[in-house]
Amino acid sequence: MVFVAKSGSGVDMISAKAKARQTAKRNELLLSLVIFLALMLAWESAGRMGYVNTFFFSWPSAIGAQCWKLLVSGALWSNLLVTAYAYCIGVFVAVIAGSILGLAMGWWKTFGSIVDPYVVFFSAMPRIALYPLLLMIFGINDLSRIVIVIIGVIFPVIFNAYMGAKQTPRLLIDAANVFGYSSNQLFLHVIFPASLPYLIAGVRTGVTLGMIMVVVAEFFGGSSGLGQNIAQTAQLYKTAELYAWVLYTSLFALILVKGADMFERWAMRWT
Amino acid sequence: MMNTHSAARLQVKDLVKAFDTPDGSLPVLDHISFSLNAGEIVTIVGASGSGKTTLLRMIAGLDTPDSGQLLLNGNAITKPGPDRAMIFQQFGLMPWLNVRDNVNFGMHVLGLSDEERQARTADAIERVGLKGFETFLPKNLSGGMQQRVGIARALAVRPDVLLCDEPFAAVDAMTRQVMQTDLLNIVTAQGTTALLVTHDIEEALFLGDRVLVFSSRPARLIHEFQVPVPKPRQHEVRTTAQFQDLRGQVWSLLQNQARELI
Repeated sequence: MVFVAKSGSGVDMISAKAKARQTAKRNELLLSLVIFLALMLAWESAGRMGYVNTFFFSWPSAIGAQCWKLLVSGALWSNLLVTAYAYCIGVFVAVIAGSILGLAMGWWKTFGSIVDPYVVFFSAMPRIALYPLLLMIFGINDLSRIVIVIIGVIFPVIFNAYMGAKQTPRLLIDAANVFGYSSNQLFLHVIFPASLPYLIAGVRTGVTLGMIMVVVAEFFGGSSGLGQNIAQTAQLYKTAELYAWVLYTSLFALILVKGADMFERWAMRWT
Repeated sequence: MMNTHSAARLQVKDLVKAFDTPDGSLPVLDHISFSLNAGEIVTIVGASGSGKTTLLRMIAGLDTPDSGQLLLNGNAITKPGPDRAMIFQQFGLMPWLNVRDNVNFGMHVLGLSDEERQARTADAIERVGLKGFETFLPKNLSGGMQQRVGIARALAVRPDVLLCDEPFAAVDAMTRQVMQTDLLNIVTAQGTTALLVTHDIEEALFLGDRVLVFSSRPARLIHEFQVPVPKPRQHEVRTTAQFQDLRGQVWSLLQNQARELI
């Protein structure tokens, strides 16, 4: 080794501090695990001893068994695929179209102020309320689900992209103008990158909202998908399986949110 | 006078500008005339709100005068262009670009070859003393270092006129003095023609071959000083009797202006 740390040197002290932080973090993790297990144990025993109505609340081992069954039978994957199909297409279309629209609104001020009230209206409205209408138009199929996901996701994306483009610091625009940037260059090299933090925050909201949209849309009908299985198991009073589907749905939502977080951190290294 | 033996690089003729406000028209610049010769550094000193920044913005092409003429190399200024570069008080760096890309930023519209651009970037970064910091993002640099990037970005386009808008007002006092010396050396070494506005009398005298004193609201050119201190100037010239005397003269012109504004 070229690098030899003497005891008591700065390097040693830093590593000691880092170690202490690591230990503290591990202890926290351990504590939350213990609390989680205790809660599960309490639920399990309360269920088995009849303190809670297992018809509504089931118990952990039964839910765990259902989770396992869904996993190994392949039911989870085939249903996930159905949901993911409508979700991914919807989110993709909404993000692309919403970004273009929102940035355009920020870029062409007149266009922005004309469209703004509509965006505000649709942003405020519970857009899932439009789903019965979409069912009338498209029927119970992927298309109606894709469209409701688009409607759900596009407005936060538009709104954020619009805000992002509008708030681009005057100073940065001046700086580009001084050096003779054309309006296209200004957009590409200044407005767009300056809008990114807002835009990505909009996408992050959209990712969660899209999941709600697709799952609720599936409640309304169809033969498969995560939401459809939640609705069906509830109608058949298969409580443990219902919990298992809800759990998996939440798990996927969590993965999406964490993924969006990681993407945000990567894309926003400069802030 | 110097004006006689070389053609004027920049001419400002009878410039008038007023802003529309809810209370009516507010005159900002009142019949301003002066010129800059090639290679000369002229500084404008005046109280805050004297329309100095507006004047620079008009020369940069970001704003238009109500009347009067702005000529660069004899041609009327109508829009921004890479023949002028600006150093901003608040730096104006793109926060998502590293030092190298920020220095590159100004040369986009010059149509240079990649090699030429890279060479100019490397040269400018070296001149401002940021070698080794090429991949740093602005957020990881001190205010003084960020302004060095701003200076490098402006120098890299090799402008006919370098416009400096209170370039050191946002950095701490000690950094400011060091950067004044550095800017003077860099600009002199490159032979750049520069127009700098400031409200700091000492800065105006230290950097300028000539100092134009502006009154406030509206701005009028009330006096012009030659600064007969040879370059290169070092920090120590600030303490000479000649420098202090000039400083006193400028202050006596400005203090009444400053009092009126309080």
